[in-house]
Amino acid sequence: MTTNPAPAGAPPAPEPAETDNRRDFLMKVGIGAGVVALVGQAGASLRSLVPNVSYDAPTTVKLGLPGDFPDGLKFLPDQRLFVFRDGRTFHAISAVCTHLGCTVRAEALSRTEEKEVAGKPLRITHRFLCPCHGSKYKGDGANESGPAPKPLAWYELSLAADDGQLVVDLAHEVGHDFRLTLA
Amino acid sequence: MSAEPETRPVPGGSPSAPGVHPRPLWSFRPRSDREAGDAVVSNFLLHWFPAKTYKPSLDWTYSFWLGTASAALFFLLVLSGLPLLLLYVPSVERAYGSVKDIEYVVTFGSWIRAVHRIAAHLMVAVVFLHLVRVFLTGAYKNGTGRGQRREWNWVIGVGLIVLTLFLSFTGYLLPWDQLAYWAVTVGTNIASSVPFVGPEMRELLIGGRTIDQATLIRFYVLHVIFLPGAVGALFAYHMWRVRKDGGLAKADRWVLETGKVETPAGRTKTYSLLGVARGTAPAIKATSLQARDLTVNAVNDLVRRAAIVTLGTFAVVSILACFVPSPLEEPANALVTPNPAKAPWYFLWLQEIVTDTTIRIGSFTINGAFLGGVLLPGALLALLTAWPWLDRSSREAAGVWFARDRRRQNLVFLAVVLVVLAFTVVGTFMRGPYWHFYWPWQPWPELPTRI
Repeated sequence: MTTNPAPAGAPPAPEPAETDNRRDFLMKVGIGAGVVALVGQAGASLRSLVPNVSYDAPTTVKLGLPGDFPDGLKFLPDQRLFVFRDGRTFHAISAVCTHLGCTVRAEALSRTEEKEVAGKPLRITHRFLCPCHGSKYKGDGANESGPAPKPLAWYELSLAADDGQLVVDLAHEVGHDFRLTLA
Repeated sequence: MSAEPETRPVPGGSPSAPGVHPRPLWSFRPRSDREAGDAVVSNFLLHWFPAKTYKPSLDWTYSFWLGTASAALFFLLVLSGLPLLLLYVPSVERAYGSVKDIEYVVTFGSWIRAVHRIAAHLMVAVVFLHLVRVFLTGAYKNGTGRGQRREWNWVIGVGLIVLTLFLSFTGYLLPWDQLAYWAVTVGTNIASSVPFVGPEMRELLIGGRTIDQATLIRFYVLHVIFLPGAVGALFAYHMWRVRKDGGLAKADRWVLETGKVETPAGRTKTYSLLGVARGTAPAIKATSLQARDLTVNAVNDLVRRAAIVTLGTFAVVSILACFVPSPLEEPANALVTPNPAKAPWYFLWLQEIVTDTTIRIGSFTINGAFLGGVLLPGALLALLTAWPWLDRSSREAAGVWFARDRRRQNLVFLAVVLVVLAFTVVGTFMRGPYWHFYWPWQPWPELPTRI
């Protein structure tokens, strides 16, 4: 039996260098496709864990009739909010510590003091202490000592048009000069 | 004809031929070196042991067997976690009740939970002590063996201690009690304090903007699947690396102490499979062949000690679990932060640090949450990971307690360890209501537990 290494009529064998190029190229395409597929699937899996909908509690909440609030301070645990009343004047301060988000506690001062806060008088009855890392806030929410980096937030209060209840807007921070004074 | 080879059947039916044994030639009580070696080759449970071990590296007072104890604790945690997996319900409405049932209704439930909890606490402590031991003995250093990569095994080890802490964190919030709820609040707010990406990271962690069902299921799945899986994988690699690196760093001492030089590279006659495969002769070969008096068979000397440590660990935890009850705080209450709200002891040094690191430069304030909760621990971890490359001491300092060569770095390391321990003690015993400082002999003021 004889063998013919290059039968007549068959196309000439490609140059070895060319074959290598083609194999190289196909190898790279294959690896590239694999990497793209893996990254795509990993990305899709991770993306599925980023929530698209957040079922948050509403940020505008009715708190009750102004007349039902005691003079001084009332803590509303559900909103993590302190509401202050001084006669016909109201303001609200957040109970969420600005350090790491624990709920601060109000401690009554031995005697109340009148103070100018942001150019307007304010009756100071309490101070606030955080049980987690010991931050202290003054009665107007200003951070006094401990790790808290900034004052407690003040939120906007208003009256509901329909039933006259006090309404807080937890998405709307206001300055320390905010007072809601009823007519 | 007498030229015919002997093919007489042996009892048991197997043919008698060189290398073919009529019965499995291994035993926990080998009668010869050959049988001891065969045990390692034949038995699945023993396959990760070397045939021979350098005797001084088995010393109780060299390694204190802390790595073995850590592995035993992890194994025990997986075992005790299995029944808990079937009894616990990862739902915000039912998690607390199911843990309460485990504690008070399920037969042996409180014991199983106690085993799991005590093993977890011990694992944090033992893994930490293991790290301290490895540092103080310079055991992350390469000695005399060829192809050693001990520095990478140190990096794996640092990864394992971080995973251990994450496992503890995700574990103690599963009961969904007050401790759990406020730990998640503080923990995820620390993540949230990272500039730019922080709030997104927190949202991804808790699966929304408020701590709820999505949060619990995420931490639950991390606790029972991802983190233990990662620990298992890294642990396997950790063990494999120990073998590749020729055992504990102490095993390298033999070459240094006897003045024997390692076998030169090249195709020399070798008796180990590793040497044949690589065309080199690893030092372990030289040790086991040339110093028979300094080596022992892994079966049974190494196996015996590993079994003593493992079973001893199991016994200690099982007995402790009979006497130490597992606490369960009030159900998670988003409305009231406990006062004081304390993390478990192994995180109290971090709680202490985030308390003390809010700094003000003029009107500019850096929240301690970021500085003390992210930057400082991150820097500490980075330094720890990179240490083998920063350590410039000689190879003679590998595998020696308090080597003269490494005195200064050992002192610095011990100082850092002492600071961490001191902060832990302060956080545990000297922080009262509102995280105020009280000496242990000072009474805490009477405060209402509710607002």
